[in-house]
Amino acid sequence: MTAIARPPTLDQARAVTRRGLAMSAVALVGIAGACVLALGFTPTEARQGLAQKIFYLHVPAAWSALLAFSLVGVAGALYLWLEDSRLDRFSAASAEVGVAFAAVMLTTGPIWAKPIWGTWWTWDARLTLTLFLFFLFVGYLALRAAIHDRQERARFSAVLGIMGLLLVPFVHLSVYLFRTLHPQPIVLKPSAPSLPWEMLRTLLVSTVMFTLLYVGYVTTRYGIGLAADAREHRDAD
Amino acid sequence: MPTEPPANGGYMVAGYLVTAGILIGYYLSLLRRARKSVKSEKGPP
Repeated sequence: MTAIARPPTLDQARAVTRRGLAMSAVALVGIAGACVLALGFTPTEARQGLAQKIFYLHVPAAWSALLAFSLVGVAGALYLWLEDSRLDRFSAASAEVGVAFAAVMLTTGPIWAKPIWGTWWTWDARLTLTLFLFFLFVGYLALRAAIHDRQERARFSAVLGIMGLLLVPFVHLSVYLFRTLHPQPIVLKPSAPSLPWEMLRTLLVSTVMFTLLYVGYVTTRYGIGLAADAREHRDAD
Repeated sequence: MPTEPPANGGYMVAGYLVTAGILIGYYLSLLRRARKSVKSEKGPP
């Protein structure tokens, strides 16, 4: 099945990027507000000290990265079915934004781990699988950059995106499946969240703002892709 | 007797600064690319 979309125009791209940039700016201000909430209005954890406050950035960044990578896989699967170029454009945007959030997750994790675990990094299942996922999507972006034929690029990257999607549940469940230093989920788990209300509130505010930032970044990046496609269509005419 | 939390605020500051650097840096990169990509091109006279 093939969905035929009208060729995009530069005006459309301009409107989309403008909307995305505005949304991202609002979300960045929201994240700054979440930081104020975390630093000034949330109690300090007794055993971990101030380093525990990295939690309010590390967990939302991990959530956004896994959301981004999952949606790349879902959009890739839908692309293979529908062959709609909008899905491919979305996948490219979500993968790039996911890599940015994964970079936050993979840098704040070791900074938090050092004072608590006594080491920056350990090759346990959760950390290693997360690093693999990051490399897989860096490879995804490299693959997209290397293939010039639009349909071939979309097909190959859709398959790689689905592979990434298959890895996401292993990353989330790795703390149950293997012995690991990484703590188990405290919010996304079958029972009630095991956090005091003030900490949970700050985590939720930060997670909402990171999710909004994901939407803003993806919208902007989608608009950039739209502009590139609009130029390509115009030059082909 | 309650114990004092460990003094490790430097790690917290580093974590927040690194996050700000990546998120704002990526925003600026998107802003630059967006401006460049949607800029109208003037054709030859």
